[in-house]
Amino acid sequence: MSLEAVATLPWVEKYRPKTLDDVVNQEEVITSLKNILKTKAVPHMLFAGPPGVGKTATAHAFARDLYGPSYIEDGWFVEINASDERGIQTIREKVKMFARQIPMGGEIGFKILLLDESDQLTDDAQHAFRRVMEQYSTTCRFILAANYSNRIIEPIQSRCAVFRFRPLLKKDIIDRIKWIAEQEKLEVDEAALETIYEFSEGDMRRAINTLQAAASISRKIDEKTVYYILGYVSRGEIRKILELAMGGNFTQARDELRKLIYVQGLAGSDIVSAIYRELFYLDLSEEDKLELLDLLGEVDYRMAEGGTEEVQLMAFLARLAAKSRKKTRQ
Amino acid sequence: MVQLWTEKYRPKKVAEVVGNQESVKAFVEWMKQWEMGKPSKKAALLYGPAGVGKTSLVLAYGREYGYDVVEVNASDWRNEEKMKAIVGESSQYATLDGYSKKIILVDEVDGIAGREDAGGISALRKIINETRVPIVMVANNPWDQKLAPIREQALMIEFKRLNKTAIVKRLKEICEKEGINVSEPLLSKLAERSEGDLRSAIMDLQTIAAGKTVLTEKDIEVLGERNRVREIFEALRYVFYAKSLRGARAALEGVELDPETLYTWILDNAPNQIPEIDELAEALDVLARADIYFARMNKLQMWRLMKYAIPLMTGGVSVPRKTPPKGFQKFTFPEKIRILQKYKNEREIRQSISMKISSKLHLSAYKANKEMLPYIGFIISQADNSRAKIAKYFEFTNEEIEYLKKAYGKGEKEEVLKITLESESQQPGKRTRKSRRA
Repeated sequence: MSLEAVATLPWVEKYRPKTLDDVVNQEEVITSLKNILKTKAVPHMLFAGPPGVGKTATAHAFARDLYGPSYIEDGWFVEINASDERGIQTIREKVKMFARQIPMGGEIGFKILLLDESDQLTDDAQHAFRRVMEQYSTTCRFILAANYSNRIIEPIQSRCAVFRFRPLLKKDIIDRIKWIAEQEKLEVDEAALETIYEFSEGDMRRAINTLQAAASISRKIDEKTVYYILGYVSRGEIRKILELAMGGNFTQARDELRKLIYVQGLAGSDIVSAIYRELFYLDLSEEDKLELLDLLGEVDYRMAEGGTEEVQLMAFLARLAAKSRKKTRQ
Repeated sequence: MVQLWTEKYRPKKVAEVVGNQESVKAFVEWMKQWEMGKPSKKAALLYGPAGVGKTSLVLAYGREYGYDVVEVNASDWRNEEKMKAIVGESSQYATLDGYSKKIILVDEVDGIAGREDAGGISALRKIINETRVPIVMVANNPWDQKLAPIREQALMIEFKRLNKTAIVKRLKEICEKEGINVSEPLLSKLAERSEGDLRSAIMDLQTIAAGKTVLTEKDIEVLGERNRVREIFEALRYVFYAKSLRGARAALEGVELDPETLYTWILDNAPNQIPEIDELAEALDVLARADIYFARMNKLQMWRLMKYAIPLMTGGVSVPRKTPPKGFQKFTFPEKIRILQKYKNEREIRQSISMKISSKLHLSAYKANKEMLPYIGFIISQADNSRAKIAKYFEFTNEEIEYLKKAYGKGEKEEVLKITLESESQQPGKRTRKSRRA
């Protein structure tokens, strides 16, 4: 059978919820948003919740329902990602540019600006942004999306209607994956679904990506196919680093770690999370794992405190290497 | 046990001291006066550039004529009580039996002048007045204003840079003893580089001779051309071969080298210099803590934290280093710099790909890089006939497609995959338990 159809569009985009009704498992949020749509009195809003549960998609669906299908092309809606913007200055410029003019012929007198990953803004930037919100509120409403609402300063929170997005349930993710599989005419067995879910950690984006990658090698997807993808695409690199360290090749492990940090540009915190996931499966005594877990937590904390990522992670790898060495000696 | 050649080939007798014969004579005469009981001055100040044999002379004399050389660090002079105890005790022994005669050696006396408290100098002066054993001070620069009172009390003996011929001769002797076949022009170049500093010439020789029995002129190329690099290599030697925290900390003294630069060098040389993994883990642990001190220092502008960071980053690697490598291990340039250069292009391509994904998929460039790029790379390298469509959707260039295929296509990753699959399948029990719980 031809695999041609498989990869035309990234499925995360293809199966993104288009209307509020498509959004999975956020009934309370959706009901409130629909009420807002009725009155068209749109407040500033803060969407808080874990990654991959539909915050950005909801903002888009909301705007589409409010302004119609060409909400972006007609200039009513714009999206800025806070984690890519350096400092408040660029944001202020962009907001100004965007909010200064209102398109002709709209019945709604304001635009919507989605500030994604807004918890990435520094405190200073947030304080400055708070004034921007006030200055432009007649012509522009803001939707702030954030993983952690407690990283948004009080004055901003108090100016926003706060919507809490719930983590997706296992059923939500499995049902959606099953549905997409149907649309794409794939055969996915139960064990494969379980594995996709387990690895997704509640992040729908990750689950859909895994499915699409698996579909690119086979229309029949079983557990083995999924592991193949996970090993290949998402976990292979960390795995390799850990295996190298455990095999006594510390310098090689170090060089691979550096490639992750400096070539791939991964953040130390993400590398720590990936190591955390693997740690439980390593071939070490439970005592050693416990000790390493504690050390990993320390590494995590130190990086947040300003420690250099490669240095802190190297110290962890060396300790891991020493533990494995001890084990083989016994 | 690896020994630094600068220690191994220190002169054992006064006659073996290279060069500066006038100065050697002056020192020996002064010591004879002590033995007769009537020294012209109670202290001697040996001064001159580094690595010309000042300390070696004192040690050789002590060894040849049966003196214990008591080395005291300049900072100890602040503690007058302690010094009196040492000096007093020494003189007592000297009068009782004559067996353990002592010389007190104060290294880096110019270091005292640099410190904030002048108390050290006056304490030293007092002790010179009262001493009944020879006190020998060593300095690079004795002309500091603060050292004036001491200069008056001491016999000043100047040491000059060694000439090239003397250095070449000594290097040749060492090569013979080490069984190394070496060309004359190479030794001549080493001598030239050293600028009259025999110690650094011997250090360089040991560095390039690591694991070799034949040395040619080409071998000198591994030594950094620039002065700065030479300074770093020398600082690294101090760090890794230090016997005490104090010694390690001194690696940065008198060198124009900022601690954070030296840190990267120490970090990357640690694995080669510390072959025992347990010891390396200890060392990296301490380096990681030094890193935190730097971070706090910069964040809080609390510059005084530097004084913890430095002994941690230097002594932190020499203290746990109980098992040195077999043979002298060369110091190398930090890998990080090499990696950054080598993969510069790749990094830029990745950034550009991430930006393109980001603009299409409502994600930050960072998340696009982390969450999407590997999957897209995988899909692109699998499905041939849809590659064009995906590439078109994201507006990837050919170069970007090639990168994705190379990075996520079949090839080097096969092995990783095998490891992953095998270790997963070794844990069947675990998986079932997990699924049930979920």
